[in-house]
Amino acid sequence: MSDEDAGTPPLRRRLAAPGVIGGALSLLVGLWVMGEAGSYALGTARRMGPGYFPMLLGALMAILGTVLAATAFWRGEPPGEAEDRADPRALIAVLAGLGAFAYLLPRAGLIPAVAALVMIAAQGSGQLRPLAALALAGALAVLSWAIFGLGLGLQLPAFAARP
Amino acid sequence: MDLFANLALGFHTAVSPAALFFCFLGVTLGTLIGVLPGIGAMAAIAMLLPVTYHIPPTEALIMLAGIYYGAQYGGSTASILLRLPGTPQAAVVTLDGYPMAQQGRAGVALFITTIASFAGSVLGVLLLAGFAPLLARAAMSFQAAEYFALMVLGLMAAALLTQGSPVRGLIMVAAGLILGTVGTDLQTGTFRFVYGIPELADGIGLVAMAMGLFGVSEVIANAARGGAPAARRPRWREMIPTRADWRAAIPAMTRGAGIGAGFGTLPGTGSSIASFVSYAVEKRIARDPSRFGKGAIEGISAPEAANNAAAQTAFIPTLTLGVPGDAVLALMLGALIIHGIIPGPGLIAQQPALFWGLVASFVLGNLMLLVLNLPLIGLWISILRIPYRLLYPAILVFICIGVFSIRNSAFDIWLVLIFGAIGYGMRLLRFEPAPLLLGFILGPLLEQYLRRAMTVSRGDPMIFLERPISAAFLGLAALLLLHSLYTALRRRG
Repeated sequence: MSDEDAGTPPLRRRLAAPGVIGGALSLLVGLWVMGEAGSYALGTARRMGPGYFPMLLGALMAILGTVLAATAFWRGEPPGEAEDRADPRALIAVLAGLGAFAYLLPRAGLIPAVAALVMIAAQGSGQLRPLAALALAGALAVLSWAIFGLGLGLQLPAFAARP
Repeated sequence: MDLFANLALGFHTAVSPAALFFCFLGVTLGTLIGVLPGIGAMAAIAMLLPVTYHIPPTEALIMLAGIYYGAQYGGSTASILLRLPGTPQAAVVTLDGYPMAQQGRAGVALFITTIASFAGSVLGVLLLAGFAPLLARAAMSFQAAEYFALMVLGLMAAALLTQGSPVRGLIMVAAGLILGTVGTDLQTGTFRFVYGIPELADGIGLVAMAMGLFGVSEVIANAARGGAPAARRPRWREMIPTRADWRAAIPAMTRGAGIGAGFGTLPGTGSSIASFVSYAVEKRIARDPSRFGKGAIEGISAPEAANNAAAQTAFIPTLTLGVPGDAVLALMLGALIIHGIIPGPGLIAQQPALFWGLVASFVLGNLMLLVLNLPLIGLWISILRIPYRLLYPAILVFICIGVFSIRNSAFDIWLVLIFGAIGYGMRLLRFEPAPLLLGFILGPLLEQYLRRAMTVSRGDPMIFLERPISAAFLGLAALLLLHSLYTALRRRG
């Protein structure tokens, strides 16, 4: 990846530097916060309204984002380490697992929710065979129901039938 | 003397069976998560916050604190044996600890880091017991302007004194402050950034946010990591350092502990920076700096003493001023506030059993950690072999149930999901989540003090410079900013 470092890196790579992306996102968030804060009463320095402090923060964020993006674009950034690379498989599996848990817990109860979370999230490593994942899911579902439901007495029905 | 009466009260609190149990639980869990790479003290404390809703505040704090300083001990184990830092603070220990292990001196390295951790902690606890009450008395005169300036200093330190880029740190603080404004404005009742979502009217849940940013993003980043290769358990005989080791290690521990204590006391700066700075100092003052990176014993003694000293002294600003020493303590501050205890100069006087009980539990906890980390080191080494692919689904289950149990709300799990995604994105773009969390927790207070000070001064911002203590804090913050600007510009040339 780093064999074309001689001379100025191509524009596309400079635009894809994490600092440029991060700075641009910060600028956008800052502007959005300023816009939203502008819809609340600003007040004066002596009697600040609800919009005053967020407006200051939004402006600060927008300025800092611009600085970060500009310096990263002109000066470049050191190449990242291997662990900086995105792992889409893990990202999707873990988030989908959490989503399944949030969706199933109120509708189906604790045991289905935990089992679904574990089955889906376990796919993120790409190293667990289906049967092992199933066993892990079953074990964790029963265990968490025993610990949190029976042991600590939390309001967590094992199975729920709410529409 | 007063101190002895106070300590007697503290030990009376700390040796009750419940307190001892939670102290032991805390330091054991701390060591465990410290040893295991891919889960830090931050995530562990976030995971256990819901549990602390069900126990009294003193025991809750003793347990959470135990996790925090216990993790500082455990972090070096995987650094030395596998070159995988168990915690960010222990990253610097890999530099000389792993070469020592390759030279067959892993046992000595593990022994010395434990002793250094203990030495640093002892200094930290002594400073906490001696210095915190004095600081609290001095802070009695603080008004809105002083608190505002102090919080600005803490946030600046958190943003600028990190390993990463200072601009990124400042962006994270700003983002945290913005997230802190979500919810109902206390003075006018206006909804801010709520967008019609009723669950957001009380603001974003601290636990859900912290679990997403720290726990879930760590899990995603580590999911594909294979199990750690098996490490051999050193024999007891191999752990004893030679006389030459001691001669090099003891002065380094002393310097490290001093540096760590300084950084810990400063609000906003954590133990990571203390361990990196103390390593740099050792390397600079060494007669032969080329030994560093090849198994120099000073290179593991000083940082370990530093991060443990910082972990203990970080409680000084947290408990006496209400301004957290670092992001983990910000989370603990949040836990205290949940229990209805507002940390500040009045805390030691109003809650003597809590404060001195905590101090005494630190003494007991550190003694427990000596036992956990020396005779029982083999246990932790075998736990290192548990493959992460089996561990992380269990971590996620714990996170989900913990978050849900706070207010029986599935919405909070969606929040965890969103912040997990944001946290992972931040990680890829090299943003540190710690300053964000500090900003989030201090944000509402900062705004309140700003408004109050400006009302007092009739809208004149000079109030912050006319009051000497506030001006001193802001001056320090400005110095920090200038310093990091200077370093950033010099790096260019």
